[in-house]
Amino acid sequence: MRSILTLLGIAVSTASMVLFMSFGEGLRKALGAELSAVGPAVLVLPEGVEAFSPGYPELRPETLEALKKAAPDLGINQVIPYVVLTRGGFDPQNSFVFQGIPDGLSPKALYPNLNLATGNLTPSPRGAVVGSRLAERNQLSLGKVLRLSPGVSLRVEGILQKSGGLSDNIIFVPASVVQEALGTRNYTAAAVGVSAGFTADQVAEAIRTRVAGVSAQTTGDVLRFAERAVRISDLVRFGISLVALIVGGLLVANTVMMSVYERIREFGLMRALGARRGFIFGLVLLEALLLGVVGGLLGLVLGQAASGLVNWYTGREVGLALSAVTFRLASFALLVAVVLGLLAGFLPARTASRLKVVEALGRL
Amino acid sequence: MLEAINLHKRYHQGEIDVVAVDHFTYRFPAGLTAIVGPSGSGKTTLLNLLAGFDVPSEGEVRLGTTLLSTLSEDGRSEVRLRHMGFVFQQWNLIPTLTALENVAFPMMLAGLSLKERNARAAALLEAVGLGQRGKHLPNKLSGGEQQRVAIARALALNPPILFADEPTGNLDSASGARVVELLLHQAREGRTVILVTHDLELARKAERILHLKDGRLVRVEAPAPLVGALPSS
Repeated sequence: MRSILTLLGIAVSTASMVLFMSFGEGLRKALGAELSAVGPAVLVLPEGVEAFSPGYPELRPETLEALKKAAPDLGINQVIPYVVLTRGGFDPQNSFVFQGIPDGLSPKALYPNLNLATGNLTPSPRGAVVGSRLAERNQLSLGKVLRLSPGVSLRVEGILQKSGGLSDNIIFVPASVVQEALGTRNYTAAAVGVSAGFTADQVAEAIRTRVAGVSAQTTGDVLRFAERAVRISDLVRFGISLVALIVGGLLVANTVMMSVYERIREFGLMRALGARRGFIFGLVLLEALLLGVVGGLLGLVLGQAASGLVNWYTGREVGLALSAVTFRLASFALLVAVVLGLLAGFLPARTASRLKVVEALGRL
Repeated sequence: MLEAINLHKRYHQGEIDVVAVDHFTYRFPAGLTAIVGPSGSGKTTLLNLLAGFDVPSEGEVRLGTTLLSTLSEDGRSEVRLRHMGFVFQQWNLIPTLTALENVAFPMMLAGLSLKERNARAAALLEAVGLGQRGKHLPNKLSGGEQQRVAIARALALNPPILFADEPTGNLDSASGARVVELLLHQAREGRTVILVTHDLELARKAERILHLKDGRLVRVEAPAPLVGALPSS
């Protein structure tokens, strides 16, 4: 019974670690999928602004004009400026993301994999094309009116098919409408297409050196930036789950040490019969290791189930799987469980192997 | 040949030195030798020293050309594994292993294959009359059966020396007689069987009886025809 409770303790601590760490893996996967769904390979942002925190639109039309003018020399074949406006709060049910794209352009220019479910793909000057999940959640259908601001209203003209990404939650509208609502002529960023014969890195570097006041990031740059951020958050989450792991390790150590004390005569008998110290050490360590590994495997199953539950919820709310138990994470969790078992078993194993036969057998 | 040379063991109990074995010298020949004496006479301590469970304060235990006190703990374990078998009064069997696995345990330590040790363990259990009880855990066996399993285990690697410490102490007379018969059989087959007991009636079945008092060997008695040598001191 004590061993079963210990197993459960390790399983729960491993599961919590797996779940915590799965958010990092989920973010990596989701980011990779999202970025691969974006058509243009280079993102141009106002200087000092990162891809994940665009804030208020700061990319001026003059800057965009300069970029377009230099485009042939820079290896650029298209420039698609866009402006983003969010409405609502933390509750995904009441959050809306408007992405303003150049008038007369379809969202496919930015997300080539998008397909239309019904209506038109290119919004008119007062029209909106709505992502599938958002439309479903808010019961939006063709002809429904959306209020962007007190003075700006839009009519739903198209609904997209489900893509499984963030675009399912976006309302695509003409950029001029969002700019009107925000009271600016500026853009949030511009997606830039790369001409044949150039690479994204070459184009980004050329933009950085030739166009003042902007930074240019390739999909790879964005992923690397995201990876750095996710790695830092990985460490923080691992640190938190470490507390649970240490508790799990202490449980194993306690159980194995109790077991050693209860089995002193058994170990004494083994030594009397000819078992070497190393045999006893290995035996006790193996027991601790087994507790760690079996508990770790159970924890992995529990963690996978919890991750599935999280994904079911986030999938329903925002259409994204934010948690992923990858092979890398599963291997890491098992490795942690093995190390935990070994560390927790070391002291009891050492104690058991150093018992004196006469004392262990009560033959004094 | 197992030989005790001037064996001496003293313990510190607070400020007082207690002598448990006092300059004991004896060569143990093949056959059954009983060590008797009242409680506290040093019988168990002497067996601990002879078996290498403990090291003497002075003197030596020699097995052939090997001096036990020169060996490490693991070295003495190896000597016990290869050359000695044990039957204790209690705590004889590993409770989580079946009778067959208990008998096979020393063979596993010696590196015999599973097939080989299972076959030999089954044969040894058969020899002590427990062929049908191999799959039983110790707590399903009677005291006498447990002692017979212990004897089978003691013979697992066919050691030349067998130690039996009060082997009939917890048994009824019928079970005790069966255990004694098995030990006598081993002695007749040429093994050195060292029996520690306070039961003089049981000791009378031995070829030699060593009487201990206050840790000293005070008398050697030969109720049955002697096979080995007389004590050297």
